[in-house]
Amino acid sequence: MKKFSASVNVKLKPTIKDIKAETLKSAINNLLSVNNLHCKVNTTYNIEFEANSKTEAEKIVKTIADEILANSVIEEYKIKW
Amino acid sequence: MVKAGIITFLGTNCEQDTKHACDYLGWESEYIWQNEIIKKKYDVIFLPGGFSYGDHISAGRIAKLTPAVKSLPIGKSLIVGICNGFQILTEAKLLSGALTHNQNMHFISKICDLEFMNENIKLPIAHHQGNYTGNVTEEVILRYKHNENGSDERIAGIYNRKNKIIGMMPHPERAVFKELGLTDGIKIFKFIENEI
Repeated sequence: MKKFSASVNVKLKPTIKDIKAETLKSAINNLLSVNNLHCKVNTTYNIEFEANSKTEAEKIVKTIADEILANSVIEEYKIKW
Repeated sequence: MVKAGIITFLGTNCEQDTKHACDYLGWESEYIWQNEIIKKKYDVIFLPGGFSYGDHISAGRIAKLTPAVKSLPIGKSLIVGICNGFQILTEAKLLSGALTHNQNMHFISKICDLEFMNENIKLPIAHHQGNYTGNVTEEVILRYKHNENGSDERIAGIYNRKNKIIGMMPHPERAVFKELGLTDGIKIFKFIENEI
C-alpha cells in the first residue's frame, strides 16, 4: 500500500450567489476601508490515506468529493495531489 | 389506520412533535433509528426537522449516507422531509435542487405566510439553510408569500408525485395544536393522508 495525500478545493458554481462572500465583504467594509473589494469563499479539505495504486487513489478521492464534499447542483471542486 | 415511521438522526429534534401530530390525527406511528435498514411497511415515512450530524459540511450531507435513508422504500411509502429532512432529501438527490444559506445569512425563526393549494396558510419556519436553489422538476406545493429566505420562485415545498416524495422547509408538526397558536399544519397532514 502506498500513502497518498490530496487536497480537494470546493467552491460554488459561478451561477450560484456566494452569500457567505457577500457577508464577508460586508464585515470587511465594517472593519476598514478597502478599495475595489471582491471576495469568494472556497473550502479546502486535506485527505491522507493509503491505496494500492494512483488509479485506485483517484477513484477514492473522486467518490469522497462527489458524495460528501461537494453537491454537484451548486458546487464544483478541484483535486490537487 | 395510517402507519407512520419517523426517522431520527443524530441531532433530530422534531421527532416528538411529528409523533404528537400523528397521534392527534389518529395515526399509528413509531420511530426509526438512522442506522436501521427499513424493512417494515409504512404508509408514510417522515424525515423530521432539527439537525443531523451537526449539519457539518452542509445540512443533510452526511445523513444522506445513513442506512435508513439508503433503504427508503421509494415509490412505495410516501416520504416526507420536513426542514432538515428536506435538506437530506435534496442532498440525496431524491428531490431536485439544493437548500443553500438564507439570503441574509441569518437563522430565520418565525411564523410565515404561505400559499398552499390556492389557500393562504401560516406555518412556522426555523432554518439557516432554506434558500431553495436550482431547477425544480417537481410540483411546487408550498410557496412563501414574502420569500423570507430568498428561495428561487419563492419555493417552500415540493412534491415528486411519481416517486411519492414531499419536501418542505416549514414545520406543519409545530402547527397542529390550538394551544400552540396555529393549526394550519393539520391541512398539510390531511394532504399527506390523502396522498398515501
